[in-house]
Amino acid sequence: MTDPMNTEKGCYTEHGVSGYGVAVKLTHEHPKDEGFIRSMAEEMMHSIAEKCMERGARCIGHIKSHVMTEAGAIKADTIGVEQGAYSSGSIRHPVKDLYMAVNSIVQGIREEVVKTATLEGVHEVAEGKGYVVAKEKEHTYFDEFDFTVSKQEYLRQLEKQFREETNGPGESKDS
Amino acid sequence: MKITQVAGFLGCGKTTLLLKLSKVLAGDGVYKVALVVNEIGEIPVDGKVMEESGMRLKDIGGGCICCEVATTFAKTVYALYKDFKPDHVLVEPTGVAIPHQVKAAARMSGRDARISMGPAIVLFDATRPAELLDMDMLGRLVTNQVTDADVIAVSKIDAVAEDGLEDTEARVRELNPHAELVRLSSFTGEGMDRLKDVILSWEE
Repeated sequence: MTDPMNTEKGCYTEHGVSGYGVAVKLTHEHPKDEGFIRSMAEEMMHSIAEKCMERGARCIGHIKSHVMTEAGAIKADTIGVEQGAYSSGSIRHPVKDLYMAVNSIVQGIREEVVKTATLEGVHEVAEGKGYVVAKEKEHTYFDEFDFTVSKQEYLRQLEKQFREETNGPGESKDS
Repeated sequence: MKITQVAGFLGCGKTTLLLKLSKVLAGDGVYKVALVVNEIGEIPVDGKVMEESGMRLKDIGGGCICCEVATTFAKTVYALYKDFKPDHVLVEPTGVAIPHQVKAAARMSGRDARISMGPAIVLFDATRPAELLDMDMLGRLVTNQVTDADVIAVSKIDAVAEDGLEDTEARVRELNPHAELVRLSSFTGEGMDRLKDVILSWEE
């Protein structure tokens, strides 16, 4: 069970939102059509959401994907297990190779947990459909900015940041 | 060049709305419209979806434009002004961004570009009001987004019953009695023309 007092990076930050993004190449021995690919992408979104909730997530923010192929693209996403997964777009003819970007943004579990759930979902569903999965790039992140700061303080910080980027840190004077 | 943001929590339909609203706003070439999309992660999904629209697009990753990469956002807006000169820039911040901070960051580009601010349109997902408002940390964030709105677009109205919709509207109205409330379905197109009219007539 997740410890609510745990303030380790990636979880229970200001809003407790953690995320993981991964780009993968999926290759199938036989060309697959739009219906097959859409169904797989939707199943994958649902599976990742389910795995996040099983691991203690309190809310699925958004689990989304974009599948690019030589014959067109589709997107698939879900905002929760109960809400279901949806897809749109078109793929004109069957294809063997898919280039897929998956982004999972979830509240209530740490980024490492989001990563595990996402990769498990991607592998289980894709490999279950006969795809070979090759990971190309990944990125975990979390959100920890202080959104409770006053408007005046926020503007002051913004001005400072702008001056530093314009003039260089050495020339910044925080008046 | 008018800058309008379409904000709201994760999964509320911002990307879908932006794609459709940009076409409605552009009309038959009456206005030049550019899109700015921000995703926290370095692996974009929304940006890839929007690329297919054929609209002029700037994709900002690696942080949130309302705080971490605010100056990148200001520079991006200026670059659009200089190179493309759009009449309208539609901005999709991340689902955790605070609208007044996005406005403040956009205003920084006004040092070098002639800009005006459009409304902060905040989407509220009608399919999960309790999930968004009744949880501690998440509730605070979503409440802040709603209270910052100039226009609250209650989204996905095609997916909920009328009585549920009325309850949702009452809850967001209580949080922000001053914002205009628009019922929105990107699926049926309801509310789209009203949002266009609000953007075109907005003066700040």
